[in-house]
Amino acid sequence: MYISAKDEHHQPSPLKFDIPKGWPKPSKNIFAKNKLTEEGFQLGRKLFYDGNLSADGEVSCASCHQQFAAFANYDHDLSHGVNNALSIRNAPALINVAWMDLLHWDGAINHLEVQPLAPLTNPIEMGESLENVLKKLKKDTAYIRMFTAAFGDAEINSQRMLKAMAQFVSSLVSSNSKYDKVMRGEAQFTDYEQRGYETFKRNCNGCHKEPLFTDNRMRNNGQHLNKKLDIGFQAISLRSEDSLKFKVPTLRNVQLTFPYMHDGHIYSLFQVIDHYSKNIDTTQTRLDPILKKKINISNKERIELVYFLYTLTDSSFVRNNRFAADHITTIKNPHHPQLVN
Amino acid sequence: MLKKTIVFTGIFWWLLMMAVIIVNAQTKLGTVVIHFSHTANQQPLQFNDSVYANDFGERYTISKLKYYVGAFKLDEKNLSLGFDKYVLVDANQTENKIIAQLPEGNYHSIQFKLGVDSTDNCSGAQTGALDPLNSMFWTWNSGYIFLKLEGNSSASTAPDGRIEHHIGGYKDSMNVASTIRLADNIAIEAGKAKDIYISFNLDRYWNAASKIKIKETPVCMSPGFLAKTIAANFNAIFSIGSKTITY
Ligand code: HEC
Ligand code: HEC
Repeated sequence: MYISAKDEHHQPSPLKFDIPKGWPKPSKNIFAKNKLTEEGFQLGRKLFYDGNLSADGEVSCASCHQQFAAFANYDHDLSHGVNNALSIRNAPALINVAWMDLLHWDGAINHLEVQPLAPLTNPIEMGESLENVLKKLKKDTAYIRMFTAAFGDAEINSQRMLKAMAQFVSSLVSSNSKYDKVMRGEAQFTDYEQRGYETFKRNCNGCHKEPLFTDNRMRNNGQHLNKKLDIGFQAISLRSEDSLKFKVPTLRNVQLTFPYMHDGHIYSLFQVIDHYSKNIDTTQTRLDPILKKKINISNKERIELVYFLYTLTDSSFVRNNRFAADHITTIKNPHHPQLVN
Repeated sequence: MLKKTIVFTGIFWWLLMMAVIIVNAQTKLGTVVIHFSHTANQQPLQFNDSVYANDFGERYTISKLKYYVGAFKLDEKNLSLGFDKYVLVDANQTENKIIAQLPEGNYHSIQFKLGVDSTDNCSGAQTGALDPLNSMFWTWNSGYIFLKLEGNSSASTAPDGRIEHHIGGYKDSMNVASTIRLADNIAIEAGKAKDIYISFNLDRYWNAASKIKIKETPVCMSPGFLAKTIAANFNAIFSIGSKTITY
């Protein structure tokens, strides 16, 4: 491969990370030591869609985080990794991750840049060693070219790879749903949606806080301990008061991200609402105080609430070509769920 | 007014430069070379083949011993390690030495930290000693492994008689980064190199403030109570050795 002198001195083009109007600033500035650039983003995108990063060459980040499902794993309660091994948790949607202090359902990951190390090296996810991943990248002329474009020279190391991935993943910002348009005065809720919004503000906003639809905190929403004995945040913090706490997920694009909860055991939004109004395990001592008071939602309100949640679907996000694979993807199951709006 | 400012600025810079020159002329630098060596049962540590016994009569072999050190000080004087803040000591390497320059003088102690500061545990992807490629990073629960000790023992109840101690933890109550302070008279002379031999005594790893029996604790793979119990011995592990240790 020939790299021209011009390429070597080429400066990557800076990108501005736009914070949508009225949104809080991310508490951690993940771009302070990782300058967002077009070339870094493009490299991150290529890595995200590259199955070659896994042990068997089949599993990419995008196998479990599919764009048409807002980067969740469409219709999978638990995700399949290499050799069809099943992970113990549901793949969450990747939306507005730049605002998150802690990652994973149990808050185990403390920085977006180190997150990919978990799936890459987990034997039941991508099952590859970091050493091998880098070896493969160093052999690939397309990567040599793209690392040079992004970082100024052809060195390929773990830090550069991880920073590029962080640039792509943190760029997955969804802020153009019907809800956003209503807030910006560009659209109007239907009566159903408006009443659903009221119900939402009364019962859900305490944790799924606007405009991110999460307060990014670890909370116990009254689920039973599952068969995998997944105690959530307690396993990380080692404090009994954190028993069965999980990170509050965003509800943006929630219509597309089923199944729901950390183990994907709930399949529909109606059932989710039934969980909150009927099935909360009130015997749990660590149940979030907000949920100790019974939530009353009538059947009519339940339907309205779901209509409101549908307004959080951002079709421009799931169809944005910038976030899509360049050409071939490893997605084997390309059913599109119906989009409203 | 403007002229006056220029004159004053000129005098200020002149004074500053003189001060820099004087300080430079006075602080003559010497070199310190810190060597890490490792022993078990009073013998230089050999990997895989040699069988050692701890104070509880448990026999074991060692296949891996690595740990992070940093924040070196002679008395109150910080030693700069140059580009990297940490050094990953690998006992299976023929040599582990750290070279730094500092002003000449008589020093009475050496201090260093075993472990990685909490901010460096949460700062994203790193290079050098902290590169996750060194397999000293927990991928499933972000944070560095400060000390990794692996081997085998007939006393171990883990599969294949494994010993696997991955000791780390940076969060408040789980923090096991330890400051080690060793007293010694260390004379640093200008233009000369002074060797300091720090010895890691594996016998004390098992038996000091805590009694770590392989039978009870063959495996420790995460931050928490057990890691803290083991780390309580870190202070007793190190001593200033004599130059006579040869390999
Ligand atoms: C085998 C399926 C699978 C693959 C492959 C996979 N992930 Fe994930 N991802 C998951 C699961 C499951 C979780 C939740 C993990 C947990 O909570 O323990 C997750 C969590 C995440 C999160 C945290 C999101 C949040 O809200 O906390 C990010 C970011 C992420 N993955 C990015 C990636 C990247 C980048 C890659 C490729 C290097 C990747 N994933 C590969 C299944 C997968
Ligand atoms: C006390 C805080 C709290 C309140 C109040 C709350 N939630 Fe949640 N919600 C959570 C937590 C925590 C989770 C994740 C639990 C898990 O994964 O096991 C969650 C998960 C969800 C999910 C699953 C999302 C996904 O991607 O898997 C949906 C949908 C949801 N909540 C909707 C609602 C609705 C609707 C309301 C109001 C009726 C509500 N929540 C009220 C804390 C709360």
